[in-house]
Amino acid sequence: MDFARIALTVIEYALYAAGAFFFLAGSIGLLRFPDVYTRLHSLTKADNLGLGLVCMGLAVRSGSAIVALKLLFIWMLVLAAGSTACYLVAESARSAGIEPWTREARR
Amino acid sequence: MWIVVSEGDLASLRAGVPSSLVAAGVSLALSPGRAPSVSLPGLVRFIGFFLVHSVRGGIDVAMRAIKPSLPIDPGTVTYRLRIEPVSVRVLFVNTLSLLPGTLSTHLDGDELIVHVLDCRGPVISDIEIVERRLADVFNITLRSPIEERA
Repeated sequence: MDFARIALTVIEYALYAAGAFFFLAGSIGLLRFPDVYTRLHSLTKADNLGLGLVCMGLAVRSGSAIVALKLLFIWMLVLAAGSTACYLVAESARSAGIEPWTREARR
Repeated sequence: MWIVVSEGDLASLRAGVPSSLVAAGVSLALSPGRAPSVSLPGLVRFIGFFLVHSVRGGIDVAMRAIKPSLPIDPGTVTYRLRIEPVSVRVLFVNTLSLLPGTLSTHLDGDELIVHVLDCRGPVISDIEIVERRLADVFNITLRSPIEERA
């Protein structure tokens, strides 16, 4: 009984750690990428995966199917909100006349 | 869905059943037109596809952000949408933003402007794959592939 619990705890924390890694990487991208569009890439993709992993870790912790389903709903809702917000930011940046950064422009 | 959110608390159904019915009614009244039918095998394939590519997209952007050389080569492409109707288009545009390397910027009629993190890859064909997968979910036939490139 103890072995199974330890294994589940290890899986749980591994999922948190992986999730935290992607949030961190997304934030590093936010700081390092050159313009608003590339920063949006960094946020949407890394947070999509990071939040998914954290939700999976929490689902393992809860050990309950109904809570796991609730976490799945939360994840999907955040994805829908995130991608919509991302589109709106990109769209308003575009209509404000912000040109995407390119390698060629730098050279 | 109420049962899930209340974590199976049956006593809360007294409030839950009426409010769920009202919410369903309002969303039906507000949604434009009839929702397209969903194919279950297509949906399952799409979810699998989405999960695999979410992981790939996350890893891809994380590596690009962390590598000291910052290996990105961004640009924009214009993509002529073949998928109908509008509700599925919105879903497609949003899905694209969550998948590796692509970010929907602007939708004007049939033309979608996509910002690409690295335009050295096979961008257009990747977008086409997403569109085809989504078309499978709703049993939609895409317009002829001859005029697909923009």
